[in-house]
Amino acid sequence: MTAPSGRPTAGAWPIVLLVARREVLTRLRSRVFIGGTVVMVALLAIAIVGYSLVGGRTAAALRVGFTGGSQALEQDFSTSATALGQPVRVTDVSDEAAGRAQVSAGTLDVLVTGPATSPTVVVEQSASGVVQAALEHAVLSARFTAVGIPPGVLETVVSGLQAPVDALQPKKPGMTQDRVVGLGVAILLFITLGLYGSQVAQGVVEEKATRIMEIMLATVRPSRMLAGKVVGIGLVAMLQLGIVAAATLAAVDTTHVLTTPALGATAVLGYLLWFLLGFLLFATGYATLASLVSRPEEVQGAVTPVAVFQIGSYLLAYLALANPSSPIVAIASVLPPFAPILMPVRTTGGDVPAWQVGLALALTVAAIAGLIWLAGRVYANSAMRIGARVRFMDAFRG
Amino acid sequence: MPSDRALEIEGISKTFGAVEAVRDLGFAVRAGELFGFVGRNGAGKTTTMRIVLGVLAADAGVVRWAGRPLDFATRRRIGYMPEERGLYPKMRCLEQLVYLGELHGMSGPAARTAGLGWLDRFGLADRRDAELQTLSMGNQQRMQLAAALVFDPEILVLDEPFAGLDPVAVDVMTAVLRERADAGLPVIFSSHELDLVERICDRVAIIDHGRLVACGTVADLRRGGPERLWVDVPGASAGWADGVDGATLVRVEGSRVLLELAPGTDDQVVLQAALATGPVREFRRAEPSLVELFRDVIGETAA
Repeated sequence: MTAPSGRPTAGAWPIVLLVARREVLTRLRSRVFIGGTVVMVALLAIAIVGYSLVGGRTAAALRVGFTGGSQALEQDFSTSATALGQPVRVTDVSDEAAGRAQVSAGTLDVLVTGPATSPTVVVEQSASGVVQAALEHAVLSARFTAVGIPPGVLETVVSGLQAPVDALQPKKPGMTQDRVVGLGVAILLFITLGLYGSQVAQGVVEEKATRIMEIMLATVRPSRMLAGKVVGIGLVAMLQLGIVAAATLAAVDTTHVLTTPALGATAVLGYLLWFLLGFLLFATGYATLASLVSRPEEVQGAVTPVAVFQIGSYLLAYLALANPSSPIVAIASVLPPFAPILMPVRTTGGDVPAWQVGLALALTVAAIAGLIWLAGRVYANSAMRIGARVRFMDAFRG
Repeated sequence: MPSDRALEIEGISKTFGAVEAVRDLGFAVRAGELFGFVGRNGAGKTTTMRIVLGVLAADAGVVRWAGRPLDFATRRRIGYMPEERGLYPKMRCLEQLVYLGELHGMSGPAARTAGLGWLDRFGLADRRDAELQTLSMGNQQRMQLAAALVFDPEILVLDEPFAGLDPVAVDVMTAVLRERADAGLPVIFSSHELDLVERICDRVAIIDHGRLVACGTVADLRRGGPERLWVDVPGASAGWADGVDGATLVRVEGSRVLLELAPGTDDQVVLQAALATGPVREFRRAEPSLVELFRDVIGETAA
């Protein structure tokens, strides 16, 4: 037998890591994690593939038929359209009636008919600007040739025709794509923060309800127990989000549906960092309030104050997407607890000043530190009070 | 064998609102001693044990081990079985024991060896990968004891370890507690099974309304009480003992009477009085059981 003090006292971190490891192993094995990941990846894949089929038609080759004299325009049109970013598949059509039939049957997107110098365009509903511009270029070239001007002259005359625009507040290209990404980021952050935040809350109450808390408190300091739980569940959440993010990037890369810096690797790492901070902030809040009750069915009611802030951040994210220059959005996005959802959504637009991002990070980290201190105190004081809900101020005072 | 090290509980008090759960309670459990802690429901047993474990803070008093007040590091060396049983319901048995062993500072492999050893001891070896919640109540109880023992504690504090166990499990539990005490641990447990406590404990403390009312070996407790005699005189008329000086009738069971003798009364005078009424079939000193002693001391404080 050793003397009472002869055994080494385990330091804080080994204990925190042990508690975290248990959380990770238990959760990775659970159906909730495996099923949840599969569902999330599947939903995103469906959304991306669906978008590429419906909204992303522009990326698919446009079927354009030419008939009569206009067939002379085919090569020029095809070159111009491709240069404008619209892949086309050009075909010869025997006569106008056959071409019209194909357009109304949907086997042809555009029919060009009539003479090369003044053709007519037949479409189902409307012709896109790219089609018109490419055709304009081809017709112009045909008219130059008709009056004996060599084709090279046209290029010389046309090049640089459009005056360069020096926009004082340039509108970002791909704004709609950024909004899609921003919306996705908002939804994903909101769902995962809620999902894993409530797992922390349920875990805390489970330990009270199953009374394992009594053994644990005789073994582990409450603050380490809490830290281990938050770290463990946070790691599981990061893993799941990482899988979802990787799957999204892979799907986007395959379908070419979205091409925007908002989905670059750096940006995605940024979203993960914000998730981590948001998780630490919200999970600590959830754990604090959940430790006040003893029964699983009381958790929802207890954590409502934190959930309200989370939902508020989510709603503000919609405001940020609809009106990015709103001062309310700018102010809220640097303030915790809104920053972890709002700031990454704002950054998908790409025009947030660096100092605002820095301020948001600093304030959020400070808020997390303060909340962890508060949580340790409340959790330790309410952990053994099993039965009626503990009043927050009682738990705070001890 | 008992050594001079002891778990000393000195002058502890704890009040919950208007309820005084424990008042100025003090006793010591020596190393190597199996110590029974008895009292009615709500007498303060669980509160006392929680204070020893540091799960509850006492309003006053101190708990010492080997002469030093218990600190967090020493408390981690206590094997504890709380009254409210609790382990992770969805965790596998062996995994749970390994986790608790590691939390108490054991290495992974050492915790695994110890966990397997205790599962084997409690006949749970084939359930090592079963989730705790799939075990019967009795087996969960065994797991709870294994959880208290897995890290080779220096002190054992068990709140009602025998509650809800079948006779076979009681025997296993008894053997383990005896063995741990013989290995030099102070072992304190609470129980309402007073016959069992009487049979296996070296010493007993009885508490009532948060105060210690008796503490010692069962023989010690008997010595403190008045002398009592069982006398069987089949031929005597009822009330034959009324005339005997210094003897008071406690109970009549058929033709037997239980008499309590006033201090200094000569039992031979009682025997002669009995013989005067007819043949005496039985005449012996009553050895009150712990149950009777318990009723006596609790009756005194309740009155």
